[in-house]
Amino acid sequence: MIPTQWFLLLSAILFVIGVCGVLTRKNGITIFMSIELMVNAVNLTFIAYARQFHQLHGVIFVFFIMAIAAAEAAVGLAIFISLFHHRQTIDVDEANLMRW
Amino acid sequence: MIEYVIFFFFAAIAVLFAIVVILHRNPVVSALSLVASFFALAVMYVLLDVPFLAALQVIVYAGAIMVLFLFVIMLLNLQRQGEEPTRPVQQFLGYAGSAAFGIALVYYISKYAVLALPNTPFTADARAIGITLFEGYIFPFEIVSILLLAAIVGALFLSSRGVPLPTHDEQRREEHPSVAEGLAQQQSGNTGVVRP
Repeated sequence: MIPTQWFLLLSAILFVIGVCGVLTRKNGITIFMSIELMVNAVNLTFIAYARQFHQLHGVIFVFFIMAIAAAEAAVGLAIFISLFHHRQTIDVDEANLMRW
Repeated sequence: MIEYVIFFFFAAIAVLFAIVVILHRNPVVSALSLVASFFALAVMYVLLDVPFLAALQVIVYAGAIMVLFLFVIMLLNLQRQGEEPTRPVQQFLGYAGSAAFGIALVYYISKYAVLALPNTPFTADARAIGITLFEGYIFPFEIVSILLLAAIVGALFLSSRGVPLPTHDEQRREEHPSVAEGLAQQQSGNTGVVRP
């Protein structure tokens, strides 16, 4: 069995890559994909600790996170489509007004 | 021993494709790299003795969510549109800040999170997960179903071109019947366009 800390390290690396993507990219959809990457890193942590402590609650939590990520992706991408119809771009620097 | 080989191979794949996601200019390549990274993570879930979540990861994440991303990228034709380069200050601060954060995380994990594994095997098959889910988490489960419904309605509302309120044309049609004929001719000219 692989020790838990290896999974935690992999999860930390993936999370940091996601943070880096959110901070440095300007394309809205790429930022969104970086957020999905961070969500998956957290899922890996949850499951690693679920196995460590023999608790199924972590697995259930990941189940709910997946459902919420699906909802988030649907609404977020709809927002980007709406933004694209208004601005012809999804550069997040262009979207600095709440209402146009 | 073979477990370690599998772990490091797929960990390397996950990290490499994650780096491609944030560095590549073309969003389609980013999305497909993210799919590859998610597949590698599904292998991690199998290594963690949770094959049910591995299947869920492949079906829901790689199958459904990423296809939604690809649809939107191709619908908006974003792969043609070049992305403006990020300001150097933002680039530097982003890389430096996330590197510092990463070093701190790795340091604390390797210092404090070194735990001894229990000897008994961890069983998390679909049966055990289902029993836990429907015994202790039935209320959150129902709440999530309502949340998904709200997300569907919200996505439909946001992605329609205008707010579906009574339009100006309909008001004019009610007030002046002669305008209605002109509007009908106008709309019959636009074949194939359903939206007002």
